[in-house]
Amino acid sequence: MSQACFHCGDPIPIGLEIASDLQDARREFCCYGCQAIAEHICAANLGTYYDKRGEQNAVRLTDEDLAPFDLLNDPSLYQHYVYQEGTVHSMQLLICGITCSACAWLIEKHLAQQVGIESVHVNVSTRIASISWQKDQLSPKDLAELLADIGYHAQPYVPGERDQQQKQHKKQAIIRLGVAGVGMMQVMMSAIAMYAGDLQGMDDVYRQLLRSISFIFATPVVLYAGLPFYRGALRDLRTLHFTMDLPVSIGVLLAYVSSVVALFSQSGHVYFDSVTMFIFFLLLGRFLEAVARAYQTQSNDHAPLTAVKVKRDETLQTIALHQLQVGDIAQIDPGQSFPVDGILLSPHTSVDESSLTGEYQPVSKHKGDVIHAQTINIEQKVEFEVTHTGQNTRAAAISRITERALAEKPPVAIMADRVAHYFVIAVLVIAALTYIFWSFQGRSDAYWVMVSVLVVTCPCALSLATPVALTTATNALKQAGLLITRGHVIEALANTQHIVFDKTGTLTQGRFAIRHIEIINTHLSEDSILSMVAGLEQHSKHPIAQAFADIAPTPIEAIENLPSQGVCGTWLGQKLYFGNRTLLESLGLEIQHANIDGYTSLYLADADHVIARIDLCDALRPETQQVLTHLKQRGARLSLLTGDTLTSARAILPLELFDDVVTDCLPEQKWQWIRDQQQHNVLMVGDGLNDVPALAGATTSLAMQASSDLAKTHADAILLNDHLATLPKALASASKCRLIIKQNLIWAAGYNATLLPLAVAGLIPPWVAALGMALSSLLVVLNATRLTTV
Amino acid sequence: MESLFLLIPIAAVFVVIAVAIFIWAVKGDQFEDLNREGERILFDDDDDTPKS
Repeated sequence: MSQACFHCGDPIPIGLEIASDLQDARREFCCYGCQAIAEHICAANLGTYYDKRGEQNAVRLTDEDLAPFDLLNDPSLYQHYVYQEGTVHSMQLLICGITCSACAWLIEKHLAQQVGIESVHVNVSTRIASISWQKDQLSPKDLAELLADIGYHAQPYVPGERDQQQKQHKKQAIIRLGVAGVGMMQVMMSAIAMYAGDLQGMDDVYRQLLRSISFIFATPVVLYAGLPFYRGALRDLRTLHFTMDLPVSIGVLLAYVSSVVALFSQSGHVYFDSVTMFIFFLLLGRFLEAVARAYQTQSNDHAPLTAVKVKRDETLQTIALHQLQVGDIAQIDPGQSFPVDGILLSPHTSVDESSLTGEYQPVSKHKGDVIHAQTINIEQKVEFEVTHTGQNTRAAAISRITERALAEKPPVAIMADRVAHYFVIAVLVIAALTYIFWSFQGRSDAYWVMVSVLVVTCPCALSLATPVALTTATNALKQAGLLITRGHVIEALANTQHIVFDKTGTLTQGRFAIRHIEIINTHLSEDSILSMVAGLEQHSKHPIAQAFADIAPTPIEAIENLPSQGVCGTWLGQKLYFGNRTLLESLGLEIQHANIDGYTSLYLADADHVIARIDLCDALRPETQQVLTHLKQRGARLSLLTGDTLTSARAILPLELFDDVVTDCLPEQKWQWIRDQQQHNVLMVGDGLNDVPALAGATTSLAMQASSDLAKTHADAILLNDHLATLPKALASASKCRLIIKQNLIWAAGYNATLLPLAVAGLIPPWVAALGMALSSLLVVLNATRLTTV
Repeated sequence: MESLFLLIPIAAVFVVIAVAIFIWAVKGDQFEDLNREGERILFDDDDDTPKS
């Protein structure tokens, strides 16, 4: 087992020795780049970073990242991205690879040490750094280089309108929460004094003082912090679809109004304490849900400045992506993704289309073939003619199908909302009837009896029952590595009987791995063969090279890329070839072996012999088999939806575990298949762009953390730790959560049902009603805390 | 006990001031990054050169 790199955490290739003495210990690295970064960080006295960082950052610097900064030489772009105030200029940078506070700390400290930097602030949640500097001493490009020194690459960024709006909403929510929290505490203090007064006796003057103080503090909570509920209630009334907002609003406003009446008429009972506590807890739950959702959508809204190389007027220019026009001839380096759709002009290259099709094996493209946006150029520098930009690209088309799928998604009725609908009507009717009845009976306190009825039935416990349990479970799951971004997920997960998986990147790792080595004609050992291949592939950007990245390379000279065939190089004066069947044919060598579908067979040869055959194949995630077996035992129906062929699926996956296997699926077909299964509660787990419509269309959907941004935005939950084993845990936790919600609802409804007849009969004094309400709410909250561990 | 008539309103004034400061802090972007601030104290107080 090889060691992990001190800086990036990648495994160190066996036999490679790069080490430095840092922080009083010997540290080993996977490459000289990482070593340089770590030495730089420690030399700048910032070594604490390594002690405090949460996860290791695996970003390495590349030169191409500076291209967007060259674009800022254009004054109009500069003005758009850089805010100028005298000699101080400032701009925002979207920084890749920020994972925790340690990264932010490192960036701030490192930049602040530099000459010319005025201020630096890094926001971990949005991954945006705001930097201002003296314009005579630094340029934006210098900033990028300074960041690259410590291993981060940055892109210029301007917040969009939606970002601004979201920021405003969040600020308002925090203020409401703060007002509700402080108000609740003050009112509670007075309330405790009043409870004590009820027991020990208290002069009316003091009681009136405490009541007035509660009134003063409860008023902003009810009138300002509670506003979102009243808005929701008005919307309910307009659409005649009742959610929990309506009973909440009615309960809050009635309790508040009757408390105000009680205060000024110096009779009855005040409920300011219950009202404020109620508002605070509900706001807290909504706030946490909103924060989770904001995390999910932010990646989609970011539109950093991207540079593209274009041939115009016979010269090569670098322009910003949004300036690219149809008909332009653009140039793309290997390893970069195509920014728009187009037609290939260069004779040949291969393209990684996994983001569109889920197929991890590169596709060969020849002159005149169509190239799609968001696919990655692998083999060589190519030129292509732009045919579609922005909203007209294939990738944008997939996101439009997705919008449709989302719109047609079957609504999951949330239990509490269903209850609310009938509950509200029933309570209002009963309260009104009670008042009318007692008025006709000539009872003078008919109004107070009605208030008792409303307070007893005040759906505090009932409407807290669900959100409290959901909030607790959501937080616990986040700790366990599952981020839930939509409200219905936990209830839906608990009901899931049918789980649909994508193959590549979800059940598998989505990259080549060595499956089999056949020695054909040599006395060399397997290890030395692999090491020679690793040497040949060491500079290649082809996905195949990844399979050999962990093996220490044999030194090979004069390495040459043979497009669509393989690579060749010289080892100890002997010419070596590594590549596919076409390569062997061009060498005049013969092989007997027939290709197996799903496997990629490659050959190592010298000029006269085939030395060995290496079979590569996508590898299962280590936990896949166990997770699938476990889910099967739970009685779930498992399905596999893949864009690959049946034979290639069979090559890797234990297909006998699946109830349905559907192969050769296009993104639209995946969605249609999911839609046909809607009578069951379907959970879709996927990662690629090709899964996005299916993710959006399924009852519940789960995206892997390594997914495309679009997949993450449209999934209901994200597997933050990218570990499939979290899934069964989440299902178990969801079932437990549903159980607790049921207990809570039964308790709350039972409590209401028992006390309601007594209140209607006028047997319950308002203070008993208030105390009962507080206690039943407390019980519901305590019951939910049982969910804090997954 | 009459002092309550003075003390409680004074306490109330302090609460109002606290809320005002809170609102000012939120508007000044101090609550922008909820993930970061809780951990900031772990970094700033550290001596960068390890002593042994």
